[in-house]
Amino acid sequence: MDVALLQGRGLSKRFGGVQALEEVDFEVQAGTIVGLIGPNGAGKTTLFNIVAGTFPPSSGVVLFGGRTITGMPAFRICRQGIARTFQVTRPFGEMTCLENVAVAAVNRHPGCPKEQWMTLARESLAAVGLEALKDTAAKHLNVVQKKRLEIARSLATEPTLLMLDEVLGGLNTQEIQEAIGFIRRLRDDRGLTVFWIEHVMGAIMQATEKVIVLDQGRVLTVGPPREVVADERVIHAYLGD
Amino acid sequence: MLALSITNGLVIGIIYALTALGVSLVVGIMNVINFAHGEFYILAGYFSYLFAHTMGLDPVVAMVLSIAAVFLIGIVVEYTLIRPTYGDDLYSLILTFILSIVMQSTFLLVFGPFPNKPPNWVKGATNVFGLFLYGNQRLAALIAGAAVIALFFAMLKLTWFGRMIRATSQDREMAELNGINTRRLNMLSFGMGCALAAAAGVILSPVFPVTPSAGVPVALTAFVCVVLGGMGSMWGCVAGGLVLGLVENLGAAFVSTGYKHVFMYLILILVLLIRPSGLFGRSET
Amino acid sequence: MDMRMTKNRWLLAAGLVAFALLPWGLGVYHQHIMIVSLFYVMMAASWNLLAGYTGQVSFGHAAFAGIGAYASGILAAKAGVNPWVGVAAGTLLAAIFGFLVGILCLKLGGIYLSLTTLGFSEILHIIINNEYEITRGTMGLQVPGLLSEYSKLAYFYIFLAGALLTLGVVYRLIHSDLGLNFRAVQNDERAAASLGVDVVKVRVLAFTVSSALAGMAGALYGHYLLLITPQIPSLDQQFLVLSMTVIGGMGSFVGPVIGAFGLEILSEYIRAYGEYHVLAFGLVALAVARFAPRGMVGIFRSVWERRRQAAVHPSLPAESP
Repeated sequence: MDVALLQGRGLSKRFGGVQALEEVDFEVQAGTIVGLIGPNGAGKTTLFNIVAGTFPPSSGVVLFGGRTITGMPAFRICRQGIARTFQVTRPFGEMTCLENVAVAAVNRHPGCPKEQWMTLARESLAAVGLEALKDTAAKHLNVVQKKRLEIARSLATEPTLLMLDEVLGGLNTQEIQEAIGFIRRLRDDRGLTVFWIEHVMGAIMQATEKVIVLDQGRVLTVGPPREVVADERVIHAYLGD
Repeated sequence: MLALSITNGLVIGIIYALTALGVSLVVGIMNVINFAHGEFYILAGYFSYLFAHTMGLDPVVAMVLSIAAVFLIGIVVEYTLIRPTYGDDLYSLILTFILSIVMQSTFLLVFGPFPNKPPNWVKGATNVFGLFLYGNQRLAALIAGAAVIALFFAMLKLTWFGRMIRATSQDREMAELNGINTRRLNMLSFGMGCALAAAAGVILSPVFPVTPSAGVPVALTAFVCVVLGGMGSMWGCVAGGLVLGLVENLGAAFVSTGYKHVFMYLILILVLLIRPSGLFGRSET
Repeated sequence: MDMRMTKNRWLLAAGLVAFALLPWGLGVYHQHIMIVSLFYVMMAASWNLLAGYTGQVSFGHAAFAGIGAYASGILAAKAGVNPWVGVAAGTLLAAIFGFLVGILCLKLGGIYLSLTTLGFSEILHIIINNEYEITRGTMGLQVPGLLSEYSKLAYFYIFLAGALLTLGVVYRLIHSDLGLNFRAVQNDERAAASLGVDVVKVRVLAFTVSSALAGMAGALYGHYLLLITPQIPSLDQQFLVLSMTVIGGMGSFVGPVIGAFGLEILSEYIRAYGEYHVLAFGLVALAVARFAPRGMVGIFRSVWERRRQAAVHPSLPAESP
């Protein structure tokens, strides 16, 4: 079996007096869809922020493709091929949808002719079905459209690893099915690896090969989705004492 | 010479610390730098001059009234100008900067360009440790400044309001989740920040008379203190104030008087280069 | 679409020519106001590049103009250097200082830039006042003009060229690939970083260019006034530039131009009633920043858009330009 694309070793993070993560080890294999679940405050987004370079871990290392990326600034991690979305979306409100995506595209191909990165931007926007709104300012989008825009921006960085932070919130059942299909196709057609925080358990069950469960800053268990949801400790963590 | 410089440094340092505490409080709670901080200091100086000189009130009563008046004005400023800019640092910087210029030109129109000085509270001089004569007014300023700082820290430690402040400056989101009304807290903190500037103003204006534009160096020194001590750290701020006061006076005595105020900027540059989180700041925010 | 573009271009060219011919019909006093206005166009447009397009507030913009003015003035007055070479040297020096201040504090975030530039402007004042043998302190340093013969008309064209150069640099930057990065950083720096934007580099670059342009404006201005005083790098001057940008419209290309001409012309009229213009502009700027943060341009635009929408079709969403 080959080396995991993304690995965390002994990751800890402390904020003031709060221990947000403690000695977390995890692996995301290339070409898989891995779910990250856990109750609120378990440290899921903190883990994402550490991987994406929003802040460094208090201790531990992050390896991407076998090389350490621990403590690198966010923009450099992005250029290594890791893209992420934000749980609460962060569109560039005053810019159009196409411009939003173009920011990602132009930094992927700095110094290249404009047609090249504009094509990439247009394709990414089309991939999430927002091409009709390309000239609309991002602040006018609804919540679901903003989530799509974030995915389009991530795709325009041409990542090898895509980290999704609760992209299904606010969708109805049918839209959720479409979104799951879309994310699976990203893996099947583009060969993307997906690391995915999600509260919609049905989606995790359907789409992922592996699930990592965090609880109170520690890894509670890791395994195939069916085994994980049947695990007593996981049920206990979600339902509380 | 050395002993005199150190004493001068301590007196000034305490006042710097007092002024900087107000900036630090507002940064910690609201993540806003009030560029009109120095003008609130000056405003309090003018108020105490008006109350004591023109209306003939007792100097101490005049001081307390001045601080209270500036506190109220601070609250009004927060409510009308700062509150709508939450989350937009750019506009709070711009608004408070414009406010500082507006206040300066108002001072100029009302009081004219000449220095104004409230009456001294005490007269004469004391022989300090048999080394040199030192003005009683300056010694009184040292004591009053230290007393206000002590009072402020006691408030932080002991009162409900102080606990709110400490909780919010540590983690704003957590404080909101725990039901702290951050809007009201912001308003009170901003008012209190202005009141601390006012306290420094009334204490120091008998020694250094106020002029319309004298607030600029006061505010700048407070900003350097806050960066030196670490943004949002209250103790750091006091230490920063004392360090600056001493460096400035020793520098003036032994290096150059004309460049007295440049020393603190050298310190600022060093801090930014070597330890941007300041002496007592947390390295991660 | 193309027709309208060319038509707009012709209108712009015609307007420029008309403006360039205007001073021939004006007296010396009004020519002076035009020149000073053009100086403020340079200052406000370059400050807007930083504040309006990258969201960083520098309080040292007037100080950088002062660096340019004093560098060029001292070279010309003390070393006999050709003033045009001096202007280039002043611009370069401002760029170098801008770059150094930028890398010193921009990795720490916006508040630090504002604090440090304010301190920078204070240091400059202390140095100017202490080194009066070189700078002549508040007395002012007499410097030679840019031309062997003093002519307001010639200065008008020099300043017009300077203003057009400044606006050209700003326009090229914001419409380049970098412009996308500028706006992304201003909108949300964390999101920008997550998409591969080197936020610190973008800011340092914007700050360096903006400071260099201020240095050029200051150097030209010094050689126009023929007397360089600490008034050029003063906080009052900084405040005027800031007010012009805020009132005209921060983050819009024409906003600073409108603000610069509007406020400079107005201040000449207010001055007749005493020195109230700082207070008056302060109160107006306060109100605009609070209630109409996009300035005059923003107000015009929203009125115009509302009217157009009502005229075309009440239910259609606004088509973006």
